[in-house]
Amino acid sequence: MMNDIIDRTNAKMNKGETVFEIKNLTVEFNTSDGMFKAVDNLSFVIPRGKTVGLVGESGSGKSVTSLALMRLLTRNGHITSGEIHYQGKDLVKISEEEMRSLRGSKISMIFQEPMTSLNPVLTVGDQLIESIQLHLKLNKKDAFEKALALFKQVKIPQPEVKIHSFPHELSGGQKQRVMIAMAIACDPELLICDEPTTALDVTIQQEILDLIKSLQVSLGMSVLFITHDLGVISNVADHLLVMYRSKLVEEGNAQEVFKNPKHPYTRGLLSCRPKLDANPNRLLTVSDYMSEDGTALKVDPARLVEVDRQGSRVEKIKESEDILVIRNLKTYFPIRTGFFKTVRNHFKAVDDVSFTIKKGTSFGLVGESGCGKTTLGRTILKLVEPSGGDIIFKGQHITGLTKAEMRPFRKKMQIIFQDPYSSLDPRMSVEKILSEPLEINSPEMSRSEKNHIISTLIEKVGLRKNHLKRYPHEFSGGQRQRICIARALTLNPELLICDESVSALDVSVQAQVLNLLLDLQEEFKLTYVFISHDLSVVNFMADTVAVMNEGKIVELESAKNIYQNPKHHYTQKLINAVPKITNYPVFALN
Amino acid sequence: MAVISAETENSSSKKVQITKEIGRSLWQDAWHRLAKNKLALACMIVFSFYIVVSLLVAFGILGATWSTTVGESYAAPDWNHWFGLDIFGRDVLMKALVGTQVAMSVGLVTVMISVPIGLLLGGISGYFGGVVDEIIVWFCSIISSIPSIMLLITVTFILGRGIFAIYLALGLTSWVGLCRMIRGEVLKHKNRDYVLAIDALGGSHRRKLFTHILPNVFHIVIIDASLTFQMAIKSEVILSYLGLGVQDLPSWGKMIDDSKLELARGVWWQLGAATLFMFLILLSLNFLGDLLRDALDPKLRGQE
Repeated sequence: MMNDIIDRTNAKMNKGETVFEIKNLTVEFNTSDGMFKAVDNLSFVIPRGKTVGLVGESGSGKSVTSLALMRLLTRNGHITSGEIHYQGKDLVKISEEEMRSLRGSKISMIFQEPMTSLNPVLTVGDQLIESIQLHLKLNKKDAFEKALALFKQVKIPQPEVKIHSFPHELSGGQKQRVMIAMAIACDPELLICDEPTTALDVTIQQEILDLIKSLQVSLGMSVLFITHDLGVISNVADHLLVMYRSKLVEEGNAQEVFKNPKHPYTRGLLSCRPKLDANPNRLLTVSDYMSEDGTALKVDPARLVEVDRQGSRVEKIKESEDILVIRNLKTYFPIRTGFFKTVRNHFKAVDDVSFTIKKGTSFGLVGESGCGKTTLGRTILKLVEPSGGDIIFKGQHITGLTKAEMRPFRKKMQIIFQDPYSSLDPRMSVEKILSEPLEINSPEMSRSEKNHIISTLIEKVGLRKNHLKRYPHEFSGGQRQRICIARALTLNPELLICDESVSALDVSVQAQVLNLLLDLQEEFKLTYVFISHDLSVVNFMADTVAVMNEGKIVELESAKNIYQNPKHHYTQKLINAVPKITNYPVFALN
Repeated sequence: MAVISAETENSSSKKVQITKEIGRSLWQDAWHRLAKNKLALACMIVFSFYIVVSLLVAFGILGATWSTTVGESYAAPDWNHWFGLDIFGRDVLMKALVGTQVAMSVGLVTVMISVPIGLLLGGISGYFGGVVDEIIVWFCSIISSIPSIMLLITVTFILGRGIFAIYLALGLTSWVGLCRMIRGEVLKHKNRDYVLAIDALGGSHRRKLFTHILPNVFHIVIIDASLTFQMAIKSEVILSYLGLGVQDLPSWGKMIDDSKLELARGVWWQLGAATLFMFLILLSLNFLGDLLRDALDPKLRGQE
């Protein structure tokens, strides 16, 4: 027994040893449209005690790779060829029984969504104890001790109390910590993390990344870290794999790849993320580096110009008129308790907020989830009734207006939502979706006039006329968001509220949509209220930034000043949490 | 399946082998999937056959002579009379065909009464909420707390016996399930961003409810209608068996009631005919209900 442990520790210390070796892995899915190759001839190794980052946009096959490693593919997915070597065995060939004994003990996994990975009717402690007992064959008391130790290891505050909590009593970050505790309970050799921080706030994301890193070092395990965002992985990974359209396009030492990426796709991915310390005119996207068929392109030098966009706009801001003035705005939601549902207290979602937005500028609103930024955006549009204060749009008070009186203002203020999947009616064609705003607000307009507006707009947002006949389910997330933008623009608005409009998109698609929004702003002289939890995105878009916390604006400054010289400690915390790619290079010449 | 939508921006046509026709709505999509399924096709054929038979009977082309004596009492099945004759020497097949028309009309009228009530009350209750919602939910609870057979008997006693009483009794008692399901779905959909977007555009309640929310919950109506249809057929049989159903026309329930005494004498054909006719339509409606749910539910898309 003792020797065993020493052997294992020795083995873990032995650097350069390979735990997993994946050779020529191909995974195909049987779909109603025929066979689809999700992973195409993929080969890589996972060294012991190292973190391997697997990067790619959604649909590139990165998650399928991890599921194939666990042999957890859905019924229509098959490993058609290839080998997965682990301890002299080929995991593709071993029996389901053998595979099950490896899952959760030698290879474990954490997922993106900690909210749905835990059973809501059992306490988190019970669920952890159950998995410990299952794999380690401990009695109840020892399992409890082990669970408590694990809770301490993943740094859950007040572990003795939290171990008896139900999942809904924990925050998102704490739930992800519980998932990590479960995953490391049996001291696995490989931990697969599938976008473990995507659903979390930026500040919590950093904490979870640090935790995974420190656990990886202290337990000497290997980590396969899957993400679409190179920024997230830059401080974590030792080794990097980049997947594009089911194929591995680049691999190498993480530092090397960040410093000197070889494949144009990797260059595109590195460039498309907005940075805090640089402010280009437009973001470079993958399509600047690579054509549709995958050949490398020479980047247009004009696209690389870094300008002090914000600085040059400061003058313009001073000159332009106020389009929106918010004075002491409050939005309270009553908390009703007791048998008669009497109002005992109020939840102050927006609490005494004041600011002014100049015409033609972008106003950024940053904060963590639950800080009230979405409610504020909706209150400005009066989708939520304000409890007090004034909303003055182009010199007119709109706070007390009735629904009918509000109608003319609706044309001038529009909103783009976060989730491109739920913001389009699935039963309507794109043409109908886009003509609806005109039907509501200009019923007298003729059919041909409407068609003209719609077909001009659909091309303005980067789609084609023949897309009009299609239905929302036939589009990708980025394309749907373009449709949402087109719908918001049909009425020729002056103020556009973008509520986390790019948060649900992959970084590469996000860059394209951000560029589009900037192009449209110039063309239509739009004013943006840009709501996001991502500081780097807000920095790229906004002229003025307001930082929100618990319903209040804690700092209101020009974008430039707020990043160079944050005054409030909360702003400081948010800035520190943004993942930074160190040694950010400029890939000017190919 | 997330994997299939593996396309980058601006490359919608290149990456994925689009063999499907484009611009297909969810309704068309469901219809195509249903038409591909052989079982669904078979069920629809059976259903159409029953509809045709009922129409022929209704227009007097078929089964008009059911009440004439064509032979000896209780003559066994032969090539002229496939299901034999009954106590008065009437053709059992003819009676079963007329019974088909009775059963199908009960199913259809019940659906036509219960679906609009359920849809309307469920839609209003889910969309407007508040006091209206509480009253409607309270009303639903009252109706579903009374055993349905007792409710049916009460209604037929009040309205008198006969086929119209059955129409009304079944129609007025079978909308509760639909109402509850529609209410739940409407509650879910009214907070979706696409409805909120209509708010931001200044759209009316009517537009939100009728143009957006109801088309998105309508698949439930279709599934529910197919199940209500067969429930109504079964209930009619039970009521007629109890002597509360149709009076001067043959019905499957009455045929089964008659055969209570006949079985002891070895006369099985009246029971056999009624059961077979009933079995076929109930089975295919049941299958159809399941298959419709699979084809229409957006949540189950792409899981085949």
